[in-house]
Amino acid sequence: MKRLSKNRPLRAKLLGIDVMSVLMQKLFAFLKRDFLEEASYKYSFIASFFGIFLSSATFFFISKLISPNSSSVLAPYGGDYFSFVIIGIAFSGLLAIFQERLPAIIRQAQVTGTLEAILVSRTSIPVILFGSSLYYFLYSIASTVFHLILAVVVFGMQVEKINWLGAVLTFLLTALCFLSIGILSACFILVYKKGNPFSWIYGSVSGLLGGVFFPIKVLPVWIKWISYILPITYSLEGLRKSIIVTSPFSEILPNIIALSVFTVVFFPLSIYLFRLALKKAKKDGTLTHY
Amino acid sequence: MNAIEVKNVTKVYPAIKGYKELLLHPFQRKGTTALRGIDLEVRPGQCFCLMGPNGAGKTTLIKILSTLVLPDEGKAFIKGHDLEKETDEVKKHIGFALAEERSFYWRLTGLQNLDFFAALNNIPLSKRRKKIQEVIDLVGLEKAAGRRFNTYSTGMRQMMAIARALLTDPDILFVDEPTRSLDPVAAQNIRTFLRKEMVENHGKTVFWATHDLSEAAEFAHTIAIIAEGQIKAEGSVRSLTGQGSFPLKEVYEKAVKEPAPESKAFGN
Ligand SMILES: Nc1ncnc2c1ncn2[C@@H]1O[C@H](COP(=O)(O)OP(=O)(O)OP(=O)(O)O)[C@@H](O)[C@H]1O
Ligand SMILES: [Mg+2]
Repeated sequence: MKRLSKNRPLRAKLLGIDVMSVLMQKLFAFLKRDFLEEASYKYSFIASFFGIFLSSATFFFISKLISPNSSSVLAPYGGDYFSFVIIGIAFSGLLAIFQERLPAIIRQAQVTGTLEAILVSRTSIPVILFGSSLYYFLYSIASTVFHLILAVVVFGMQVEKINWLGAVLTFLLTALCFLSIGILSACFILVYKKGNPFSWIYGSVSGLLGGVFFPIKVLPVWIKWISYILPITYSLEGLRKSIIVTSPFSEILPNIIALSVFTVVFFPLSIYLFRLALKKAKKDGTLTHY
Repeated sequence: MNAIEVKNVTKVYPAIKGYKELLLHPFQRKGTTALRGIDLEVRPGQCFCLMGPNGAGKTTLIKILSTLVLPDEGKAFIKGHDLEKETDEVKKHIGFALAEERSFYWRLTGLQNLDFFAALNNIPLSKRRKKIQEVIDLVGLEKAAGRRFNTYSTGMRQMMAIARALLTDPDILFVDEPTRSLDPVAAQNIRTFLRKEMVENHGKTVFWATHDLSEAAEFAHTIAIIAEGQIKAEGSVRSLTGQGSFPLKEVYEKAVKEPAPESKAFGN
C-alpha cells in the first residue's frame, strides 16, 4: 500500500490523467484491467509475435512461386504477391480479435459474475463494450504494425508512399465495422451461453471470399457476389490501395463509402441488439450463469 | 418517501431451453416461481432483514432491486424512482454485495479491482485512492489489499465485495447473507458495522438477507419472513414475538410453514 501512494501522483501527472474526463478515465480503467490480466500471460504474448514471424516467412517463400508481374489479377496491387497477402493477413487479424475476444470477454464476465458488478455500476453499455475491446484493439494495431514492419524490414516488401488519409480512415471504419460484428456475436453468447455458429461461418467465409489470400477477381462469378457483401472485402481493397499502390484518395473512396454504410447500419444495430440481449438475460436470470 | 417500495412483484424464471426445445416449443412458459406478489416498504434509515429458508427468493428480490433481474409483474421503487424506467437514477443510490462473491478479477490485486470498479462508478482519479483506502480500512483488509484476489479466503472475498459496495457511498445497501462465510469475530464486526456505522451513524438504509435468526433478532429494526416467494410475516422483533411472549424461532418456523396470510392473485 505504501508503494502505491508513492508512485501514483507521479504517474497521474505523466499521463495527464488528472485532466481526463470521466469517460476517458473509464476507458483507461478498462485498458488497465485488461493489460494487468493479460500481462500474466506474457509468454503467449511473445509467442504470438513469433507466430507472426513464422507465417510471414511462410508466405514469403510461397510468393517466390509467383514471379512478380506474372499475374494480371495481381497487377492492380502492384504485381507482388507477398505485399498482397501480408496486407490480407495483417488486417484480417483485426476481425478475428473482435469476433473472438469480445464474446469471450462477455462470457467470462457472465461466468464469474463480474458482468453483474459492471452492470450495477454507473457506466453505459456503449462504454462497457468500447472499453472491453479497447485493449484488444490496441493489441491488434500493434500486431498489424509488427506484421508490416517485419514485411518491410526483414522480407523486403516495397512500400513507396502511403496514402495516410486513406489508410487511417479505412482502418478506423474497419475496426468499427468488425467491432459491431463482435458485439453481434456477444449478443448471441449473452442469450444462448454458447458460441455463435453464424459468427464462425462468417469468419471462415470472410477468410475464403474476402480477398485475404487472393484477389476476389479469381473467384467464379456465381460466388463473387458474396464477397461484395462482406465488409472485409472493402477493408482490404482500401488498405492495399492506400499502402502498396499509393492510389489517389478518389480511388480509395468507394471502399470507404461501402465501409461507412456497413458501419452506420451495423454499429447502432449491434448496440441495440446488445441492449435487447441484456434485457432478455435480466428476464431469464442469466446475467450470471455457469 | 420510502427508501424501497415493492408492489406486487412476481418473478418466474423460465426453464433453460436448448436450441432444440426452443425450436419445438418457442412460447412454452414453464419455470420456477421465485417471487409471488411481494409487497414491501422500507423506510429510510432502517436496518431491514429479509429472513427465509433456502430458495425462498431472497437473492432474487435483491437482484431485482439492484436492477439485475427484471420482474415479470409488479413495480419497485428506490427513493421513488421506478426501477425499470429510471435505472440510471436508481444506480446512484444503491450498493450491493452478494453472498457468493466471485465477481472480481482473480489475477488482479484487491486494490486493482477496487480501482477498476471505482472508475466505473465515476469516482475521479484524484479522489479514488483516498476512497479505496477508506473502504479497505472499514472492512479491515489493509494487509491483503495488495495481494492478488485469487489468494483470498472466502471470507476475505466477501469483505472485498462489501468494500466495493461502499465505494459509492450508497444510501441504500443491499447485502445478501453478508456473514455467511465469516468467522464469528469477522461476522460480528460486519453486523456491528452495518447496524452501528451505516444505519445509526450515517442514516443509511440496509437491506439484509439472512437465514440467521439471532442475527436478525439482534440487528434488525424490521424483519420480513419470506418463504416460497411470499412474505409470510413482517414487523419489528417485538411485534413479531408478541412483545417477547414467544421465541423468534417459533414465530419463524410457524410463518414459514403457514400458507400466506391472504392468497395473492398469483398462484399455482
Ligand atoms: N437464475 C435463476 N434461474 C432459474 N431459477 C432460479 C435462478 N435463481 C434462483 N432461481 C430459483 O428461484 C427460487 C428462489 O431462489 P433465490 O436464490 O432467490 O433464493 P434464496 O432465498 O436466495 O435462497 P438461499 O438462501 O439458498 O440463497 C429458487 O427456487 C431457485 O431455484
Ligand atoms: Mg440467496
